[in-house]
Amino acid sequence: MLTIDVADTAGAVSRAECVLTEPVIAAIAVHATTTVAGVVRLEPGLAGLAGSLARSARQRIKGLDPAPTEGVRVEVDREDPAGPCVRLEIDLVTSAQDQAAAVAQAVQRAVTRAVAGATGLALASVSVSILDIDPGAGG
Amino acid sequence: MAVNQTTNQTTQSYALPCGRDVETVWERLGEVEAGRADAHDIDCRHCRAARESLKVLRDLTGELAADDSEPSLDLTGRIMSAVRAEVRRHDLVPLPTAEPGGVRVSEQAVASVLRFAADTVDGVHARHCKVTAVDGFAVEVRMSLAVSYRGFTGHALEDVRERVTAAAGARLGVRLARLDLTLADLYDA
Repeated sequence: MLTIDVADTAGAVSRAECVLTEPVIAAIAVHATTTVAGVVRLEPGLAGLAGSLARSARQRIKGLDPAPTEGVRVEVDREDPAGPCVRLEIDLVTSAQDQAAAVAQAVQRAVTRAVAGATGLALASVSVSILDIDPGAGG
Repeated sequence: MAVNQTTNQTTQSYALPCGRDVETVWERLGEVEAGRADAHDIDCRHCRAARESLKVLRDLTGELAADDSEPSLDLTGRIMSAVRAEVRRHDLVPLPTAEPGGVRVSEQAVASVLRFAADTVDGVHARHCKVTAVDGFAVEVRMSLAVSYRGFTGHALEDVRERVTAAAGARLGVRLARLDLTLADLYDA
């Protein structure tokens, strides 16, 4: 859980509070990542897979189809004096047609922009790990 | 047989009010459907009710018996992919980026791209490829090759060096600090 203070422009209330959970940030990041050209798929690790199975089972009981969060780890650092500091780690597979470094940098930019646009949250960092390069996948 | 006898005794204890037991109704199910029903089968409402329930049971068990679909391979695939990812996470080569957080690529992925590049040279098959990260977004690569006995020329190794160096820059974005090629084998083609 992550609480963000939002300044209220109307001035009636001094400020509003916005609470985000990690899966929400992860789902936004997953969506942004998959829209980048050259990304074949995200690659969840064992921990990510177990976590996502548990989460989707819980959501299905409630009758919801969960947005995918596999392959993105969200780390919130509350010790930072400047406020909570959010770091993302993304694991993915890229296509061999594009330069891996360029695709990864495009992912970093797309995710930072998408999270800022959807939540107002400025990410401290986005680390991208390319775990595999798929020679068969084009574009 | 022992099992059958037990079943018979169990169902015989479920005699219908008309005197027939469920086992008899079950056995006569086919007869009745084939149009060889006796007077009792047609008139008795207890037998008719039992027959309807048994038909439902037969249809359902038939469906289950006919169902030969395999369990989904999706979960197995996801688990294996996660296991592979877990192995690859340990050996990562840093790539240059302007954004905070850093970009890394697994040594296995680098090796597969470089092997693929070497394979494009005629008469050359890449074999083992060991990638080691060094400072300054560069890698040191040791690669062993099998070359064609008939098709091989001295230029091929230069071609391999050229294409692997080009692939490292164009496909990955790393500098090739060192490339050791080992001619490990010949093949007859």
